[in-house]
Amino acid sequence: MAATAGSGRNRRLVWIWTGLIVVFLYLPVVCGLLASLNQGRYFIFPIARWSLRWWDKTINSIEVSILIQTSITIALIVTAISVVLAFCGALAFARYNWKGRTLFQRIVLLPIFFPQTVLGLALLLWFNMLGLPLSWRTAIFAHLVWIVPIVTLVISIQVYSFDAALEEAALDLGASRWQVLKEVTLPVLWPGIFSGALFAFLLSWGNFPLSLYTTGADTTVPEFLYAKMVAGYTPGVPTLGTISTGGAALIMLGGYAIVLLARRARSGR
Amino acid sequence: MSKRPSILELVGVTKQFGGLTAVDHVDLKVREGEFFTIVGPSGSGKTTLLRMLAGMETPSSGDILLRDKLVNELPANRRPTCMVFQSLALFPHKSVGENIEFPLKMRGVARDRRRARALELLRLLRLPEGYYGRNVTQCSGGERQRVALARAFAYDPEILFFDEPLSAIDYKLRKTLEKELKDIHKESGKTFMYITHSLEEAMVMSDRIGVMRSGKLVQVGTPEEIYLHPRDRFVSEFMGEVNVIDVRKGPNGHAVGIELPGDFALPGGVAAFDTGHLVVRPESLRFLGSAGEAENHLRGTVYNEYALGSRIQYQVRVGEKVFIVERLRQQAYQGGLDQEVLIGWDAKDSILVTD
Repeated sequence: MAATAGSGRNRRLVWIWTGLIVVFLYLPVVCGLLASLNQGRYFIFPIARWSLRWWDKTINSIEVSILIQTSITIALIVTAISVVLAFCGALAFARYNWKGRTLFQRIVLLPIFFPQTVLGLALLLWFNMLGLPLSWRTAIFAHLVWIVPIVTLVISIQVYSFDAALEEAALDLGASRWQVLKEVTLPVLWPGIFSGALFAFLLSWGNFPLSLYTTGADTTVPEFLYAKMVAGYTPGVPTLGTISTGGAALIMLGGYAIVLLARRARSGR
Repeated sequence: MSKRPSILELVGVTKQFGGLTAVDHVDLKVREGEFFTIVGPSGSGKTTLLRMLAGMETPSSGDILLRDKLVNELPANRRPTCMVFQSLALFPHKSVGENIEFPLKMRGVARDRRRARALELLRLLRLPEGYYGRNVTQCSGGERQRVALARAFAYDPEILFFDEPLSAIDYKLRKTLEKELKDIHKESGKTFMYITHSLEEAMVMSDRIGVMRSGKLVQVGTPEEIYLHPRDRFVSEFMGEVNVIDVRKGPNGHAVGIELPGDFALPGGVAAFDTGHLVVRPESLRFLGSAGEAENHLRGTVYNEYALGSRIQYQVRVGEKVFIVERLRQQAYQGGLDQEVLIGWDAKDSILVTD
C-alpha cells in the first residue's frame, strides 16, 4: 500500500516536472503571441487593450510577403539540394566500406561544430574574394555548408539500419542497378530522407547568423526580425515571429501526419 | 543420382581478401537436381564460396562453370541462380505478393500474370492465398521463410543457394522446415545448394555434403560416407561429440595409446600409419561386466550423467581424460556415480584417422 502511494506521488512529481519543462520551453513563444495581440506600440504586461491590428497589418504587408517568399525560396532550394547531396553522403557515410571513410565521417560533420557567426563571416570573405555579388543565392550556398552535414547525419541513421542484403537480393532477383535504387533503396530509406528534408527546410527557415552575413541586399524573416528588434520595434515583430514559429510547427506536424498516414496505409493492406 | 550430369563445376576456385585466403583452391562438381550442402565452422569460407557462385563476389583465380559455361564475371542479376539469404532479405515495404512478384516485375511480366504466378507459388509453399496482400513484417518466422523461398522460385533459377536461412529459427520449427525444404526440393526437382555450420542440419536434408575448413574443401561425400568414414579428426569431431584417443602403431596390427595406457584392436582395412587418432562415438561405447565382453576396454569412474530424453549420457573419467558414453534409456547404467566401471567397444565401431 505504501509502495503504491509512493509511486503515485512519484508519478505526480514526474508530471509536474514535465509540465514545468514544457512551460519553460514554450513560454517565450506564448509571450511573443501575447505581445502581438497588444494594441499599443510597446509591450506592457498585463495587456491593457487586446487587438488583432498588428496581425492584420502584418498579413497585408507587401514587405512581409516578400520576406516570407525569400525565406521560403531559400529553404526550398536548400532542402532540394541538401537532400540529394546528403543522400549520397549518407550512403558513403554509413553503407559502403571505402578507404577514406573514417576520415570522411569526421570531416563531413565538422561544419556543424563551427560557430555559425564565424562560418558566416568566413563565407562572406570567401564570396568577396571570388567576386560573387551577395544575394539570396549566396545565402543558399552558406546554408548548405551547415545543413548538408546535419541532413547527412539524419539520413545516415536510417542507412545504418538498412540491411545491405536487401540490395543484393534485389540484384540477385534480376533487378538492374537503377531498379534496385527505385524499387528497394529509396523506398526503404524514404522515412530518413523525408525527415532529412524536414530538417533541412526548418533549419534554413530559422537560420539567422549565416543569412546575416551572406544575403546581401535580400532579407530573410529572421534577419528582418532582428533588425526590427534593434530599431523600429512594433508589435508586428512578435506577430511575424509567431507566424514563423507557427508555420514551422505546422510543417513539422504535417510531416508527422504524412509519415503516420503512410505507415497506416502500408500496414492496413 | 551419380549418372546425372554436373550443372555446376568449380575448378581451383580461390578468393583472397588482402592477404587473407578465404577460399583456397576448391574443386567441386554439383550434379543436376542434387541437394548439396557445404558444412563448416564460421570463418571456414563457405559463405564467400556461395557468394562467388551467386555472382556477388568474383573469384581471385579459378573457374566457375555453369552448364559448362564460364560465369566468373557474370553479375548476380544475369545469373540463372538465386539466393535465399540468412536474413531472408524480404523487402519490408512490399506485401507478401509484391515480394514474390519482384523478379517477374523486374522482367516486365504483366500484372495479372505476375499475380497468377504468385498465387500458384503461395499454394506450392503451403501458404494461404489470403497472405497475398499481407505485410511481410506481420508474418511469422516460418511464413517469412516460405515467402523468401517463393520469391526465389518466382525467379525460376536453375540453382537455388541457401545461406543458412534456418540458423535464426528455434529448434522445433527448424526441424519442421528442414523436412519441408527437403520435400520442396523433391517436388521442384531443382538443384539446391545449402550452407550451414550444423552438420546435423546437413545430414537431414542433403544428398551430398562437402565439409569446409580454413577455405579448403576437406571432404565430399554422402551423409553416410561422411559419418562412417570421416577423412580426418576435424571432420569426425565436426560430426558431434566424439571420443578421440591419440595412438601410435603397436605390434600385430594393434595401436598403443599415447596419453592413455592400453593396447587397442583396430578396425579392418586400416592403411599404414605411425601415429593417429582413434575415434569412438559415444553411442559405440558401452558398460562392461568384464573385460572380455568387448574387444577394447578402459577402466574409469562415472562422475556424471545427463538425461537426453530417449538416451542418457555419461561422463566417464579415465585417467586425465573424459569419455562420453551414450546409452538408450532401456540400457541405462545401473551403478552409482563415482564408481569404478569398465567401458568398452568393438574394433569395427571405431575409426582411425591420421590427420
